[in-house]
Amino acid sequence: MPNADQSRTPPAVELRKIDKSFYGVLANADVDFNLARGEVHTLLGENGAGKSTLCSVMAGLYRPDSGEMLMDGEPIVLKSPKHALAAGIGMVYQHFRLVSNLTVAENLALGNPEVGLRLSQSELEAEARELGERYDFPVDPTARIWQLSVGQQQRVEILKLLYRDVRILILDEPTAVLTPQEGQALFRAMRTLADEGRSLIFVSHKLHEVKQVSDRVTVLREGRVVGNVDTADAEPRDLARMMVGKDLVLPTRAPNESIGEPVLVVDNLTVTDDRGLDAVDDLSITVNAGEVVGIAGVSGNGQRELAQGIVGLMKVTGGSVHLSGKDITGTSPLKSIKAGIAYVPQSRLGMGLAPGLDTEDNLALKQFREPPYSNGPMLSPKAFKAKGAELIEEFDVRGVRPGLPIRLLSGGNLQKALIAREVTQDHCVLIARSPTRGLDVGATAVVRDQILAERDRGVAVLLISEDLDELLALSDRLLVIYEGKIVGEMPASDATAERLGLLMSGHTEEQSA
Amino acid sequence: MSRRFIVEPRGLAPWWLKLLIPIGSVIAAMILGGVFLVITGNDWIEVYQKMADAAFGSGRGFAETLVSATPLILTGVAAAIAFKMLVWNIGGEGQLIFGAVVAAGVGIWLADSTPQVIAIVAVVIAGAIGGAFWASLAAVPKVYLGTNEIITTLMLNFIALNFMQYLVLGSSSPWRDPEATQFPQGRPIVESGRIPEFFHRLDWGLFIAIGVAVIAWFVISKTRSGFEYRIVGDSFDAARYAGIKVPKKVLGTFLASGAAAGLAGSILVAGILGKMDPRSLDLGLGFTGIIVAALARLNPIAIIPVAILMGALNNAGPALQSIGVPSATVKILQGAILIFAVAGEFLISNRIHRPDPIAGEAKAEPEAQAA
Repeated sequence: MPNADQSRTPPAVELRKIDKSFYGVLANADVDFNLARGEVHTLLGENGAGKSTLCSVMAGLYRPDSGEMLMDGEPIVLKSPKHALAAGIGMVYQHFRLVSNLTVAENLALGNPEVGLRLSQSELEAEARELGERYDFPVDPTARIWQLSVGQQQRVEILKLLYRDVRILILDEPTAVLTPQEGQALFRAMRTLADEGRSLIFVSHKLHEVKQVSDRVTVLREGRVVGNVDTADAEPRDLARMMVGKDLVLPTRAPNESIGEPVLVVDNLTVTDDRGLDAVDDLSITVNAGEVVGIAGVSGNGQRELAQGIVGLMKVTGGSVHLSGKDITGTSPLKSIKAGIAYVPQSRLGMGLAPGLDTEDNLALKQFREPPYSNGPMLSPKAFKAKGAELIEEFDVRGVRPGLPIRLLSGGNLQKALIAREVTQDHCVLIARSPTRGLDVGATAVVRDQILAERDRGVAVLLISEDLDELLALSDRLLVIYEGKIVGEMPASDATAERLGLLMSGHTEEQSA
Repeated sequence: MSRRFIVEPRGLAPWWLKLLIPIGSVIAAMILGGVFLVITGNDWIEVYQKMADAAFGSGRGFAETLVSATPLILTGVAAAIAFKMLVWNIGGEGQLIFGAVVAAGVGIWLADSTPQVIAIVAVVIAGAIGGAFWASLAAVPKVYLGTNEIITTLMLNFIALNFMQYLVLGSSSPWRDPEATQFPQGRPIVESGRIPEFFHRLDWGLFIAIGVAVIAWFVISKTRSGFEYRIVGDSFDAARYAGIKVPKKVLGTFLASGAAAGLAGSILVAGILGKMDPRSLDLGLGFTGIIVAALARLNPIAIIPVAILMGALNNAGPALQSIGVPSATVKILQGAILIFAVAGEFLISNRIHRPDPIAGEAKAEPEAQAA
């Protein structure tokens, strides 16, 4: 351990051998962690590495299956988030927990046992204002939450914790929702808090932020601690390697020699998200027939908007999309289906499948308008049965029973059903987002094989994923998306997890070279 | 944190449970009602006998039951098709009334010489259009502006009711019967617009209602449009993804729901009432339709027997007064049945069992996408 003074002062928080699993899946395994007083400590890791779970354990939301937690050297068992708060640990969750119809001051008072029955608005407001000023975090205490921007709401979350005078603040990916300027303000406040002797846990997967704000970094991968370094000694390159893992299984597939004409051509596409930001910003890509183009990127950098913009689920605010030379910019979902775009969305039950309908119905979810599924206005139950049985057999979807809502199938079977439907309709483009996420080895292999088979059939495949293994295994060409822009492009032969990891974290090639 | 029972969503409820819950609800409600009757010093066996006798004991009694059931089938269908798509149309009441207003208007306006078939069709369809129009006042703002239809449909009920009363009681509109000298009355519709009776007071409107329920079932389960409806009702996002125009579908369903309720109004006007009679139209038929739909688990075919049961209870009410029991007893029974049925719904969609000692607490989902 680099901290020499550890013998004198026990760490503010120490975790020993924490295990936590959900439904038999390990989220944290044998995690040791310690947080010194007055430091900003980054938890770094890919999606699903177990960062949020670990934070939730420290915030009292989850109880570990085994292992122990110490605060200032004393063992403590947190019973609830409320208990954690009373002990001085508070967390700002990714999804804020504010009452949107109440004012800032009222939100601060909520759940605070010291407020008691008497509530003095003016006192509360004065306190809130004073707190905000001290940390250079100005928020109008009389404003209602719904009137505030996301960044301001986050400040309220932090003020809420400071109002309770927590000594340990856990910030779960706080910068994910911030503009760069708001991010800088947050970092300044974080430093002030640390200088006051408070300890902060900062969750991120953006390397440049880690370097800028934190004193120490603990890297998690697949639920385990794989590194703990002082930020000053850490090279982004090393962190990236730790984060994605060294032992990557490299693809063993024949390179595709028969790459054809451009099929999907996206030119200067801009898609504005719900917050009014350009989530896809002047982005261009071309996908040729018989080619898998992989788009790597950390979640939330415009992947959803890119896919949904192409298929017409989100409004395109600029640029164009051409399909085999035909302009389909701003198409509708129905037109994009008919034009031949197959789309495997990231959220299987949230979008790709109707969770309450059974498997046969879901297999017909897009083609039900045409024979054999329907004749004119009438459905053909026979076709639903026959085609359903055929696809269930061919794609080895298990656990299906007539009438059984599809949501009760396992993740792998859901994805097999979804892919079965998408690749058996008439299509020339396949857009797939993280198609093997959360799948076991067997289902992953089936899905990967299907995607390669698509390529060999001459389909233009756009693979958007956060999983570098998957991207490296399947892509012919790799692009990296960062903040809605393509920041790097390389043929698969030149791609390494390390190089992609740096680009995904916002490091340009020149910076890292 | 230790809980002694675990409640879990259930996949496929066994068919017998789906049948047992509504039947059990009725029995449980009758037991509860029986306790109430005993406490108030009544002979509960006598009361239930009397009710059964009034509702089913004779041909004429049963005919009265079916007369009461006819509008409930339609308001039940109206509620069911909307609720299944998560459109909370609780304005069946107002849509029924406005349907009756329009149907009566057409029925009054038609010439005496209009051929019977045309007149009946015109009056009946007019009610459906009126109901759909009244629903559109809530549906269009919901779909295009996101207003809450629970509030708008509820308030439109009062507007429709007062509007109808104004037409007869407060103005000299064409709806008011100029010949009614003592108490203001609705003006009778043209004779050729009346739906003929075929037994006692029972008219062919019953079969229109049953026909609508069967058509609703058929469209939902057998047609392409019904498949789209089922997808939208299950998941808006999946529907959008599958290329379905969700707002259009929601709007169409809302209007169809209003039309069914409006049809209940026109069948009353063209059937047993023969005019727009404010007192006979203000019986809470729209709200009872919600109970019917809930008991029938939103299944249009199941609505038919459930509406007949509710009709029987309504029909039995007056008979109770002859033995000194308030007719409101049947309202208590109806309410109790609904409460038990809604509670039972929980058992259909969830399984309650003892914790599994090995798996322990399976409570919070891992925040996989967050970590």
